[in-house]
This record gives sequence, structure tokens and C-alpha cells, in this order.
Amino acid sequence: MWYYIKWTFWLVIVVIVGSFLHYTLPRNDVVRIVDTEVRRIDYGENSIFWADSNTGEATGIPSRDVHFINAKKSSGKDMVYRNEDTGWGWPPYFKFNTSNLHTRATDMRSTQENPKWVAIKRYGWRNQYFSIYPNAISVKPVEGPDVRIIPWVSISILFVLGCLWLAIWSRWRKFRANRIDPLLDGE
Amino acid sequence: MAALAKLLLILFVALSVVYVSLSLYSRSVRREKLEREWDEEIGEGDREAFVRDGLEAYDSSLRRKLILGVYIVPILLIGTIIYFTNYR
Repeated sequence: MWYYIKWTFWLVIVVIVGSFLHYTLPRNDVVRIVDTEVRRIDYGENSIFWADSNTGEATGIPSRDVHFINAKKSSGKDMVYRNEDTGWGWPPYFKFNTSNLHTRATDMRSTQENPKWVAIKRYGWRNQYFSIYPNAISVKPVEGPDVRIIPWVSISILFVLGCLWLAIWSRWRKFRANRIDPLLDGE
Repeated sequence: MAALAKLLLILFVALSVVYVSLSLYSRSVRREKLEREWDEEIGEGDREAFVRDGLEAYDSSLRRKLILGVYIVPILLIGTIIYFTNYR
């Protein structure tokens, strides 16, 4: 019984941490930009999946205009990105250049007949049931649809987090063996 | 700028917790090292005075000042991220 409780607990922790990292860490998509647009969003339950950038504008308003980038992935799937400032808030991308990015993305639009492929760095999830979109961080032109981009930033962050976890874990085990176990054995 | 103030406040509190914990931890590691050194190599005279002198030397050492990097590294990191996100 205790065994199952313990493993369920750790499984839940791993799922929470894993999905948090999966949402927050940057990823690259190779896409063809179809169009860019601005449309008004009235967010409700899904508001935590929208940025709360607080970069000079009024805050606490239940609706606003949001920049979007509509794209086709190299696999042929449709993808829609939002393009919002993250400002000084979470996640810490410190993105303030939404309008510039909108200009750049608009400049890289292309047609099916004459495709221009770009890599969009983004974080977040696309989910149709919650109406949430990944946030585009940058666009840059790439050679073609088959370019492979190695996510060095995510790899480094995961590596550092792993080292940190190991350091804390080994110290905690040492502390438990030296200080807590003798106390429990004594009783 | 309220958002920046909020970030700086949170950062300052969080980093101060890390700084204080790390300082205490580092000092206790040094203390253990001095005690072990006295037990294994010296073994005569005043043990407490030896440890006290060693810790005073530690207090003015570079190693202790390096712990201030806890404040400096994140600020440099934020500057770097701002540059790479917005100006490249």
C-alpha cells in the first residue's frame, strides 16, 4: 500500500515538473509563414496561458488585441502562434519586441508555390480545446524545410537543472544518513 | 515599471535566501575541514583557537566573496537574455 502511494506521489511530481518544462523551454519549428494578423482576444479560464506582460499598458483588462502568426509546418500541419510580450514576467524570455517581430514575420510571408522557410523559436502549447497558442520568440530564415535545429539552450538548461538536483539530492541523503536516521534508530 | 520592480523584489528576496544558505553552508564546510585538519595533523594546543583563526582567515578570503556571484550571475544572465531576445 505504502509502496503504491509513494510511487504515485513521485509520478505526479515528475508529470508536473515535466509538463512545466515542456511548456516553458524554447523549441524550434521550421514553418512557412502564411499570414500575420491582429485579433481581439477575450480570455477567460485559459488566461494563464496568455502573457501578462505589463510593459507599459494597462493591466487587469479582460480582453485585448493580440498579434498572431499563421503558419504551415514542413510536415504540412497548420500551426498558429501568438506573438506577445513576456515583459519582466514568467517565463523569463524578457521579450519586448512583439511589434518588431510582427513586422519581421510579415516580411517573411510566402506562398505555397514559392515557399520561404523560417525557423520560429517558441514556447508553449497549441491546444484547440482550450484555445491556447504557443508564443513566438523569434523568426529567422532557414535553408529549407528539412533543416534540423539542435536546441542547445534547452539542453543546457536541463543539464544545469539535472546537476542542481543531483547536488541537492546527494547532500540531502548525506544529511539524512548523518542526522535523521540515528535519531529514528534510537527510539 | 511596476513589473520590473516586482521582478527585482522577488529576485532580491530569493537570491538573498540562496546567499545566506550558501554562506552558512560554505562556512560550516570550512569549519569541518579545519577541525579535521587539527585532529589529524596538529593535535596539540588550543583546538578552538585554531578553528577560530582559520574561520577569520576564511571571512576575508576570495572564496567567500565569490558567493556574491549569487547576485551577479542572474543579473548578467537577464541582461544577456534581453540582448539575445530583442536585439538579434
